[in-house]
Amino acid sequence: MLAVKITDLSKKFRIYLDKAPNLKERAIFWDRNRTEDFWALRDINAQIGHGTTVGLIGRNGSGKSTLLKVISRILYPTSGSLEVNGRVSTLLELGAGFHPDYTGRENIFLNASILGFSRREIKEQLDSIIAFAELGDFIDNPVRNYSSGMYMRLGFSVAVHVQPDILLVDEVMAVGDLAFQKKCLEKIGEFRSQGKTIIFVTHDMSLAQRICDEVIWLENGALVASGKARDVVNKYLDLVANREEERMLHEHKQAISKDEMQTLEINEVEKQDNNAQQDSKNVTLEDKPNRWGNKMVEITAVIMRNREGIESYSYECEQPATIIIDYIMHQETQNIVFGIGIFRNDGVHCYGTNTDIDHFEIGAYPSVGTLECRIQNLQLLEGRYRLDVAVHGKEGIPYDYWTKCLEFSVITRNKDSGVSRLEHQWEIKKA
Amino acid sequence: MWEQIKEIYLYREMLRNLVSKEIRARYKASVLGFLWTFVNPLLTLGVYTIVFSVVLKSNIQHYSMFLFVALLPWNYIAMSITQGTTSLVGNVSLVKKIYFPRAILPLSLVLANMVNFLLGLIILIPALAITHIRFTVALVAFPAILIVETLLVTSLTLIVAIGNVYFRDLEHIVGIFIMLWFFLTPIVYSIDTIPIKLRTLFKLNPATPIIEAFRSIFFYGVWPDWRLLGWLSLALVIILGICWFIFMRFQRYIVEEI
Repeated sequence: MLAVKITDLSKKFRIYLDKAPNLKERAIFWDRNRTEDFWALRDINAQIGHGTTVGLIGRNGSGKSTLLKVISRILYPTSGSLEVNGRVSTLLELGAGFHPDYTGRENIFLNASILGFSRREIKEQLDSIIAFAELGDFIDNPVRNYSSGMYMRLGFSVAVHVQPDILLVDEVMAVGDLAFQKKCLEKIGEFRSQGKTIIFVTHDMSLAQRICDEVIWLENGALVASGKARDVVNKYLDLVANREEERMLHEHKQAISKDEMQTLEINEVEKQDNNAQQDSKNVTLEDKPNRWGNKMVEITAVIMRNREGIESYSYECEQPATIIIDYIMHQETQNIVFGIGIFRNDGVHCYGTNTDIDHFEIGAYPSVGTLECRIQNLQLLEGRYRLDVAVHGKEGIPYDYWTKCLEFSVITRNKDSGVSRLEHQWEIKKA
Repeated sequence: MWEQIKEIYLYREMLRNLVSKEIRARYKASVLGFLWTFVNPLLTLGVYTIVFSVVLKSNIQHYSMFLFVALLPWNYIAMSITQGTTSLVGNVSLVKKIYFPRAILPLSLVLANMVNFLLGLIILIPALAITHIRFTVALVAFPAILIVETLLVTSLTLIVAIGNVYFRDLEHIVGIFIMLWFFLTPIVYSIDTIPIKLRTLFKLNPATPIIEAFRSIFFYGVWPDWRLLGWLSLALVIILGICWFIFMRFQRYIVEEI
């Protein structure tokens, strides 16, 4: 016998496009229904056995709260069926039904009764509930004097003593201070060891992998994946990474076209008011603040490619990345150094080097060419970064110094922190 | 249906808490506190007596008691229905977040008003004694008549509670309806003053036999019309069944409709 069995469950909401209906309007406008159907859940199938801890993940608006509400009978399905075996307690909001004039103690009775306790059950648990809430003497003060943190502690304490067979938790754990969150997790751990079934909504992927046996992933009301926690979470992170890539690519293209527009405009202006001789030596770049130099050698394009050779501006930590610089020499010279600088978007300088420092020697640079800088392992941690690219003479005269020529982002699946990942292993040795 | 009743029994603690919250809330924050329970009916009584007995010169003996005996049961009906309309709609936050049998909300109002009625008796009995109205054995019939009235009150409260969710202006319509109903029931006047031609029409009013029954036992000291009450109870049981069924059917969707 399963704890929860969901078969082809669908839930449709009718969205009224005008204000709440009343008798007058229904009578007069009875054939003019300005409504729209919204399918919050579509054909969901899931089987949850007793004692499993299930994580519910998905973007905001994907139907997670709706699913929880259907399981707790706050909403009824439009089609499909639902079987629930066991006492259900739902934490959608803490402190539901608190009356501001009653004391904490009186509210425990009220709140607990709403959750379905009998008077005798409440009396048995009263001391435990009060102790868990850690409110001290405030327990006998009217609840309107409580801070939001105390409110939460009391509500959580009552809800947690319900002794359900199935516990449903919406994003209540997202609020509250660290101590409170730790308490929540401890209690959930206790429930797990007691063999209770838990379904909770989370956006914290590492939490999901840590404590869930299974994970259900919803998107736009449909079930995308369900199964072992690790597998589903990885699939989800893949999708997030892909979306991030597309977004960065899109932003990059937008930035480029904006740049081109600006250049065109400025060139127009220049043409109009400067028809004097143009000394090729003194060709100066327009007043774009992030780019300067005498343009003896000009960088025409900078892009990044990933390991498959596809242009990409989103990487995972430790993936390979290649920076590709196209250039043209307006004046032949072999006094030439290319350099790159990687900065995090808060300004931290992560890495910088150039062909001189790296002792990169080739015979002669072609006058029109492409230089590639291949990074085997982009060991930067999660964040957004910008790239500066420069070409200059050995003594430092800038030919084309282009800061912020592109932006890229890095995602990590781990929670290590800092600027970059240092490769390491852990080992324990006997004393 | 038994499942539903069993569930309500399971949640009886919540019912008890809501009733006591309702009663305390009504009188706690006010200046006179608990005394309002008594002052309110007394004031109403006083005003009506002056208007109908002195100004309009009704020829009924002991008019204020005549009226009081009918006002208490009437308030039970009127207040339950009036408060019932907002019982679901006004508790949106609770309803949307937690599961509990939705019927508990309107039912708690019926119970709270019944308690109010019973508290009113605390004034009624001494008042009757002071005005030298005899107490007779007929008073024993009180619980029975109360049950019949409760059948009526519960049916109507359930219906307006769920109705207001779908038709938001029911609240206001009910207010007007109650006022009309008040005057169509022989509360401020005696049933004898109704012209014979209209009497059958007035007899269709289910509140009439109930009010008359209370008057019989408290004011006149005689047994109520048992046959009439019997038929009425039968009809009310059926009506209650229908209202219950409608409520249970539509209460599933209230979270979306609210």
